[in-house]
Amino acid sequence: MPDVTLVINGQTVTVPAGTNIVDAARAAGVAIPVFCYHPRLPPVGMCRMCLVEVWTPRVDPATRQVVIGDDGKPVMALMMGKLQPGCVTPVSDGMEVRTATEKVHVAQKGQLEFLLTSHPLDCPVCDKGGECPLQNLTMQFGPSTSRFDYGDKIHFEKPIPLGDLIYLDRERCILCSRCVRFQDELAGDPVLGFDHRGRAWEIISKSDPPFDSKFSGNTTDICPVGALTSADFRFKARVWEVRPTASICPHCPVGCNLSLDMRHDKLMRVMPRENDYVNEIWICDKGRFGMRFIESADRLRHPLIRKGDSLVPAPWDEAIALVAEKLSQIREHAGAASLGGLAGPELPNEDLYLFQKLVRQTLGSPNLDCSTGASGAPEVVDLAATLGVGRGTNLAKSGAGTAVLIMGADPEEEAPLYVLRLRGIVARGGDLTVINPYPTKLERSAARSIRPHAGFEAFAALALVKAVLDQGLIATEFVTARVQGLDELTARLREQSVESLCETAGVSEASVRAAAQAFATAEHAIIIYGRAALAAGEDVLRALTDLALLTGKAGRPGSGVIALLPGGNARGALDMGVHPGAGSRRGMGAREMWAAARDGRLRGMIIAGMDPARDNPAIAAALDALEFVVVQDIFLTETAQRADVVLPTASIAGREGTFTNAERRVQRFRQARIPEYNTPAGWEVMQRIARALPPGRSESVTDARPVAGRRAQRASGATATATMDAPPATWDYAVASDVADEIAATVRGYAGTTYASLGLTRAPEWGRQPDEAVYYDGTSYQNAEGIGIQIAATADDPKTVFALRARVPAPFTRHATRPYLLLAVTRAYDGGEWGRESKLRSRMVPPHVILSVADAAAHSVAPGAIVRLESDAGRIELPVQIEVTLPQGLVLIPDVCGTPLSTIQTGPQTWVAISRVA
Amino acid sequence: MIGAIFKGLGTTLKYLFRKPVTVEYPDVKRPVRERFRGRHQLKRFANGLERCIGCSLCAAACPADAILVVPAENDPAAPHSPGERYAARYEINMLRCIYCGYCEDACPTNAIVLEHQYEISFYDRKSSVLTKTELLVAPDRGHGEIPPILQQLNRRPSPPAQIDL
Repeated sequence: MPDVTLVINGQTVTVPAGTNIVDAARAAGVAIPVFCYHPRLPPVGMCRMCLVEVWTPRVDPATRQVVIGDDGKPVMALMMGKLQPGCVTPVSDGMEVRTATEKVHVAQKGQLEFLLTSHPLDCPVCDKGGECPLQNLTMQFGPSTSRFDYGDKIHFEKPIPLGDLIYLDRERCILCSRCVRFQDELAGDPVLGFDHRGRAWEIISKSDPPFDSKFSGNTTDICPVGALTSADFRFKARVWEVRPTASICPHCPVGCNLSLDMRHDKLMRVMPRENDYVNEIWICDKGRFGMRFIESADRLRHPLIRKGDSLVPAPWDEAIALVAEKLSQIREHAGAASLGGLAGPELPNEDLYLFQKLVRQTLGSPNLDCSTGASGAPEVVDLAATLGVGRGTNLAKSGAGTAVLIMGADPEEEAPLYVLRLRGIVARGGDLTVINPYPTKLERSAARSIRPHAGFEAFAALALVKAVLDQGLIATEFVTARVQGLDELTARLREQSVESLCETAGVSEASVRAAAQAFATAEHAIIIYGRAALAAGEDVLRALTDLALLTGKAGRPGSGVIALLPGGNARGALDMGVHPGAGSRRGMGAREMWAAARDGRLRGMIIAGMDPARDNPAIAAALDALEFVVVQDIFLTETAQRADVVLPTASIAGREGTFTNAERRVQRFRQARIPEYNTPAGWEVMQRIARALPPGRSESVTDARPVAGRRAQRASGATATATMDAPPATWDYAVASDVADEIAATVRGYAGTTYASLGLTRAPEWGRQPDEAVYYDGTSYQNAEGIGIQIAATADDPKTVFALRARVPAPFTRHATRPYLLLAVTRAYDGGEWGRESKLRSRMVPPHVILSVADAAAHSVAPGAIVRLESDAGRIELPVQIEVTLPQGLVLIPDVCGTPLSTIQTGPQTWVAISRVA
Repeated sequence: MIGAIFKGLGTTLKYLFRKPVTVEYPDVKRPVRERFRGRHQLKRFANGLERCIGCSLCAAACPADAILVVPAENDPAAPHSPGERYAARYEINMLRCIYCGYCEDACPTNAIVLEHQYEISFYDRKSSVLTKTELLVAPDRGHGEIPPILQQLNRRPSPPAQIDL
């Protein structure tokens, strides 16, 4: 659309057509006060605060020509003869807007006087006070006195809980509907609404449990008054007393930018920090309310050493010396390969990097992993490093012309903020396809939802590839230049037809063809895969890779693959080389390590930030079989209870570091407080151990520089390899940035990710502008601490060549006697250690099993009844919940604390039999 | 020289018969002016509830950063103050305080008042920090009147302070 030129308060500005007057004025540096308008929400024009004089050229009704006055200029007319709301009036050519006339001031004063008639004026006790648009705009635009009597104010009971996280104070509410619109339009959880009329008009929650949304905290941010306040921050401090510290959410692969608002070294609240590349101005409730664990009284304070059956506190020197002594003893007697290391995917890059350096280089063992190795844990296949989304991707800008394919993922649970991002793409005209064996909330926003039979996801994925081949949707230029093996792929799929593949997968051929069409013909396309796709096996990911390659949706901004891997920094863990295949010599993965521990080949282990023994008796037994286990964690987890030495570390509030998110954006978080109980950062613990170790032989981690063919092989996803240049063997890191500098120097792709460059921000193209009290007031804080750096994926190098590797999956056979397929599904509120002291405690998902209506009826079980699930591995008993839209024959078990999934799972997909217990 | 001596002795003689200006402190205490700013007190309402609502505006106004307020939520069954919020901790560091009275000006409920007590001395720095228990008046010392300063200025207190007027 052509740009429109208009005059605002005498200034000429040119803005895109369709822009409303408030946004246009902002571009000219003119602040029009607003309450109901929010730039990230569709305008409604409810509050009338943005009334301005709009003059347009007069058009002669007879000739439809602009009337030209005597002075040769168009005769201007006041639009509709009265003031117009700026937020719902689009700009037009020749328009003249006046925002500072007497008439406008009278309107603004009157509007504020009316808004304040029933406002309780309890700013001193209001949690919004200090960052409240109503306060600020009243000071700036409002009348100094009111003609209404203070005694006439309407009073309501205050506050009423709108769910257990959010309080509603109806006296303060100005009924702007920002919260209702956020829930309806952005979050897609339409749980809020209006009730009653007139003075009794109020916001209510329509859901049970009330305000059942994972994004409810955002409504307190966008509330322009103190009507919605967070239970977590209720009367904790005044907003001007807190010291915001830039941080990154460690809970999921989105990597939302947070600010930890501290007072007296205590966490007061968690607020979003604006970053359009990651979280815009939103965060989910898990990030907002799930950070209280850092101040839990249960945190580990001292190193613990096993003395007989108990762990007793010990000084640091003693604990480190013991670790070094035991590890070097095992290395001498049984060889370095009898040592292993597991590091959790929630740890920062610095910890992970030094962890792998300690294990691989200093101790000389190739046995490293970042997964728990539980029987049901899927193999982590990582397309995000190879294909990845192109460097420069910004989902906040993607819209029309972008097709998104969700394959085997439930973003709401695995990476909640992607729901907002993806719904935003749909709202801007993008296309969304969801392929998942079980229903997810995101389906409601999708253009088409394809539900393959569980276990047959690979056929559905292959059907997409075949449809692309059949319908001639191949991006010839990209395929010719960068893809090998097209003829072989065509040959492999010659026997298959889209129809037969769809029939096998149990999906409609038309929707698969439509999805393939939408994906291939869109200018940009993104594939997002998650737990269900990983559980379905490698064939799905091979097909997804080929789909992206054949349609040329790789290696450029706005296209590619995003992996929702478990853990907040799984991307970083793989990049840092905490993976058995990362070194020159392949080591044991977690699952092999547990087997080796049981038969005595593995003697000692270092486990950092991971709790593999939780709900897993088999791994607990393997741990007990080990000669020496050192665990580094912030809580005394089940794994830590079985350790010989437990080393406490600082949480992310007590140290600094970097995370890499699912889109490969390396982001820095700062130290928010002095370390709790003076615990050192994880990397410091690694360094202390390494320095205490006697020198021994070490493995070189240098990899041969990969050639094109090798990269193609890696691109297939068979092995995710963090290729490294040889790091120096010395251990002399004084501060975290020393580690980051070494990462930047040695880990391929991370060049340039020093703390200084990670702290840079772009020119203020978004967010709160100087001298502006209208948009984001009190909502979101300007990001002055850095937006991170998106590192390049292999595909971003135009010289890399990829091989097509999709293959026809082996026929998937049903179990003879166990008719139900069990899938473990992720739940955001999983009851993990992160939830300690959190207000989300009541929302944690209890252990249960989800059955379809038909299957529940077949076994005549009602919700809450206990059923026994039996597989080849074992049996468990769980209470039942019934899911209406779940396909028959599929059984879901949420992977939450207290569910001994490992006792029943034989793999990511397990055949089970169900019987009723009570 | 002799003349000068007699002049001086004359002055002495003159003052011998005048009323002495010296106050026998501490046996006798000199009265202070109505608007004298001395040690702070946290006032109560007539019904015994604390006037302080823990809003921290005094701390925000304090140029010497002498005041610490940590707010908390009232238990509706046994409230400390009217409304939802009260000061769980209220501390003034009297070594930092410059007795400017800005806290009094900022207070929306006239809870903090610089009273006429000026005997403020400590044996150590720690005891220079007056806590809420030390600052708060006895429960039976509450009042519902507009504070004298506002009466003089012919101003009504701000709405939250009008609770029992």
